[in-house]
Amino acid sequence: MPAPSNAKMNVSGVSKTFRTRRGDVAALARCDLAIGKGEFVTVVGPSGCGKSTLMMIAAGLEPPTTGDILVDGRPAGPPGPQRSVVFQRFALFPSETVTQNIEFGLRVAGLDRAERASRVDEQLELMGLVQFRHAYPHELSGGMQQRVAIARALVVRPEILLMDEPFGALDAQTRTVLQEEVSRLRRVMNYTVMFITHSVEEAVYLGDRVVVMTSRPGRIKKEIAIPRDAAWRGLEIAEASNYADFIAYKRDIWNLVRAELVRA
Amino acid sequence: MSVPGERLDWRAIGTASQPVAWGAAALGVLLGAWLLATTVTGIVPRNVLPSPVELIARFATLVVEPFSGSTLEGHALASLTRWVIGVGAAIGLGVPIGIVLAWLPPCRAAFTPIFEVLRYIPPFAWVPIAVLWLGASTTTQALIVFIAAFPVCVINTQLGVAHVDRILLFAAQSLGSGPLRMLARVVLPVAAPFVFTGVRIAFSNGWMALVGAELVVGKQGLGFLISQGQANDSVATILVGMVTIGVIGSIIDVVLQRMQRRLLPWQPASAHSGTGRR
Repeated sequence: MPAPSNAKMNVSGVSKTFRTRRGDVAALARCDLAIGKGEFVTVVGPSGCGKSTLMMIAAGLEPPTTGDILVDGRPAGPPGPQRSVVFQRFALFPSETVTQNIEFGLRVAGLDRAERASRVDEQLELMGLVQFRHAYPHELSGGMQQRVAIARALVVRPEILLMDEPFGALDAQTRTVLQEEVSRLRRVMNYTVMFITHSVEEAVYLGDRVVVMTSRPGRIKKEIAIPRDAAWRGLEIAEASNYADFIAYKRDIWNLVRAELVRA
Repeated sequence: MSVPGERLDWRAIGTASQPVAWGAAALGVLLGAWLLATTVTGIVPRNVLPSPVELIARFATLVVEPFSGSTLEGHALASLTRWVIGVGAAIGLGVPIGIVLAWLPPCRAAFTPIFEVLRYIPPFAWVPIAVLWLGASTTTQALIVFIAAFPVCVINTQLGVAHVDRILLFAAQSLGSGPLRMLARVVLPVAAPFVFTGVRIAFSNGWMALVGAELVVGKQGLGFLISQGQANDSVATILVGMVTIGVIGSIIDVVLQRMQRRLLPWQPASAHSGTGRR
């Protein structure tokens, strides 16, 4: 698939080989992926297929063995708020309150106090965290912690938001609520997102495009565009699951993933 | 550290549910038995174990009358000074070294073998050489405290820093943070409970070593007071010295525990009692 001309981020020929004591292990084999501005791309694949490795490389937190990450056509360079990350395990700073966690990137950027306060307030409002602003992470539920992590990643106004199985550690009910929340946010704010998941339903529900990866070493197997104006967009997951096209996407993508599970 | 009540519900046993009440009761029983053995029945002769009353009298005397050069407070103050200097130096040097060792694997690889050998030389084994180098001075005593307190500062700091989840560093990096900010805002706060536990153990190790060193060298201090009590055949003096040593040590530990709770409010309650190693 040719890169769209308005690509915000390009994953270009990226591969990754880990050196271990028992020899080299290929985690990723030549991945090419273009994410357009304002596009929500979900990446789905069997566990261990290297999709988290792909995310770490995209974030600049791990060097690729070959290939490049480009943002606006230029090498992305070291990690930074231009590509902020939401991790599966929340990764909140335990010694800082909700407000301080969200403020972290703004302090790094050297914004003045008034600007920081207004941006943090905006996020607290947006993510429904106002009443928890002075709480410490250990006092919050997993769902609330992940809201804080999302707010912390969004408040720096990243060019692209990278999410690594952000709801994987949450219980089913909380996960559903947050999926719907992210879907709502994205419709309002139009972020550019790369979202890693192992849930096919989540990938279809949130994505403008679903990227299916092969089993290890991970390659991009297929990309499926999901229309932005599908009738079920904006509905809750339970309702969306009644639509024939939603069901068909889920089934087709699930079949692609299952073929990889069998192969692995 | 064990937690009483973990397996057994103490409240089910009697009305006294507070740990303080249990502590006071045990102390009362001990005092009663002591009184019974000395003053009441006289089974234990006075020159072996004086009664609690005599001990209190001896305590009062030592507070006002100098014994072997100083009053009890004078001896205690001398010990405290050496203690604080020695432990202060151990923290001041040990914590930064612990950070460096955890942060830079080559340094750790280079330093660890030397450190492991030095660590197994007991603090008292340094007394002879310390006396030859520095004479029977406050510095000598403080050096012994330092030697007893330093390793645990290094080890606990190193453990604390190594305990920091890499994902927190990734999160900080992806928000644009450089290494210094990461150290100050992520690594040190997360390592702080371990460091603090190390500091508490450093105080206790230093105190033990100091009293031991004072027994053999010096002209002042609580250890010296005890050894002079022995020289004067005064069991009461020895006991007053010992109890003072125990009380001061435990007061400092309680103060440090309170400080830890005050300074690290973000920890879950369970994390306060037993992090780190001894």
